[in-house]
Amino acid sequence: MRIFDLSLGQMLWSRRSVFLGLLLGGPIVIAVVLRIIDVLYRAGFQINGARTGGGTIFGLIIWILYIRFIVPVLGVFYGTALIADEVEDKTITYLFTRPISRSAVLLGKYLAYLVCTTLLVLPSVMIVFFVVVPTGGGSIAQAFPSLLSDVGMLVAGLMAYGAVFALVGTRLNRPLIVGLVFAFGWEPGVLFFPGYLKRATVMYYLQALVSHEMPQDSAVAMILQVFREVPAVSTSLAGLAVITGLSLWSAARAVEQREYVLEQ
Amino acid sequence: MTAVGTAPTAVGAATDGRGAAPQSEGTPFGTGRAARPGIVVAEHVSKWYGQVIGLNDVTVTVPAGITGLLGPNGAGKSTFMKVITGQLKPSKGSITVLGEPIWGNPALYFRIGFCPEQDAFYERMTGLEWVAALVRLNGSSESESLAIARHALEIVELTDAADKKIGAYSKGMRQRVKMAQALAHDPDLLILDEPLAGMDPIMRRKTIRLIKDWGRAGKSILVSSHILHEIESMTANILLINQGRILAEGNVHQIRDLIDEHPHTVYIKADQTRALAREFLTHDDVLSLKFEGEAVVVQTGRPDAFYARLTSLAASGELGIIHEVTSPDDNLQAVFQYLVKG
Repeated sequence: MRIFDLSLGQMLWSRRSVFLGLLLGGPIVIAVVLRIIDVLYRAGFQINGARTGGGTIFGLIIWILYIRFIVPVLGVFYGTALIADEVEDKTITYLFTRPISRSAVLLGKYLAYLVCTTLLVLPSVMIVFFVVVPTGGGSIAQAFPSLLSDVGMLVAGLMAYGAVFALVGTRLNRPLIVGLVFAFGWEPGVLFFPGYLKRATVMYYLQALVSHEMPQDSAVAMILQVFREVPAVSTSLAGLAVITGLSLWSAARAVEQREYVLEQ
Repeated sequence: MTAVGTAPTAVGAATDGRGAAPQSEGTPFGTGRAARPGIVVAEHVSKWYGQVIGLNDVTVTVPAGITGLLGPNGAGKSTFMKVITGQLKPSKGSITVLGEPIWGNPALYFRIGFCPEQDAFYERMTGLEWVAALVRLNGSSESESLAIARHALEIVELTDAADKKIGAYSKGMRQRVKMAQALAHDPDLLILDEPLAGMDPIMRRKTIRLIKDWGRAGKSILVSSHILHEIESMTANILLINQGRILAEGNVHQIRDLIDEHPHTVYIKADQTRALAREFLTHDDVLSLKFEGEAVVVQTGRPDAFYARLTSLAASGELGIIHEVTSPDDNLQAVFQYLVKG
């Protein structure tokens, strides 16, 4: 927890957090634009002629913007940097010459990442929820339980991606590039292939946690149909837990064994 | 003098950090001294970075008390320090610190304090926050950590700047706050990598006094430098390292005699370099002098006398503030060449 305390402040006030905070403003801007359109034209939103409620639009934003894009981005940028930042700043020496195991340093920093990213994502999601759900006559009260499950899904995604990219960061050189290729090449690419390969992605397990009804017969729906081989919720949760646990264990082992040669 | 080869005999140099090491058998280096249990024992330690060798078959015992690790940049000092602080694992051989293997043994850091060479901090933190945060990693509570950190900052005379952001510290203050984090938890062994680099003459003198005080208090200290004069003012016991090998170990005065045969270069950054230069030129021991930007670079034949005058000048302030005093490592090169040739 001491590493957690030390790292959380560093993470929250880092330039990375400012940049990603701005990124998290993107969905808010989109939500506000949708709301303005709704107020001005009072026609609600239609997908393929069918009237679509605010709850469904919110679900689409959560899936397409947050789960498919923002959560992996947060995972890549923070996860790969958990140890790499300290190495680059040459401050790792101070942490690795204290009576605390290196794996505890990694886990403390991972927890700090989780809290930091959740604190970044949560306000954005809440604002989008309150702006978008009332469009088309949607009810905030009715949609609130699904907000909780969405937040749970986002945290599960942050946990799994953070652990995977922590592993990438501790095992590989150029972790950011590898992480980006994994998040935006491997993950979406493999989902298009039949067979078991897709089970080696985080996204495959996150799909089952989507609580919203997705609109059908649209281009978006067609894309979403590709992922319809959806595992059971329990399988998904177990899969995410295994991915997170194994990745963290392997990352911790790497940190324990690796020598960090700082450039003078 | 005994120039030790690739695998010197591990001997415990008898020094208590309070002055010249008592020598016996008439040979100042390597032989004829009573063995004492070492605080650091390296046996045939080698360290490679790919094709590059950092340490080459080093066998040495660092005794209790103050020991200076002397060598030019790139000699292997920092690699040796990183190996004995458990940051690097020897490619070959074994190393024990305070009787225990250091690699993968974090509990040992309760007894070790390390001041690294690199100028790296969490810049947004204040000195007090930073030292306290690191002390907390030793298991102290928040209030204990703050009290310990305050005390450590008091020792290094940074109390007034404790609540300033480290990013606003001068080079000398940054060196001192690094030392504060190393000594805060009252370790048995302090490992200081170039602790005087960039300090002004007055702070340099105070820090040297501080290190000697710790030695007198029974602490063991391993301090590295590429400036013999610095090491000499702290201890008589040195390890001479070059090209990854311990070339010699023992009494500093023998090395000193060799070095005095060669001009010693000092780089001084100050407010009034021209006034300083005029003052320097009134003394015979200044062999040459040139200006480099805001600094004056002096070659002296008697570094002792020169440094003493410089410290007095800095203390009096009559010729303005002296910001930084450094010495390039070429002073040692001739001596190392001599030792390597045997």
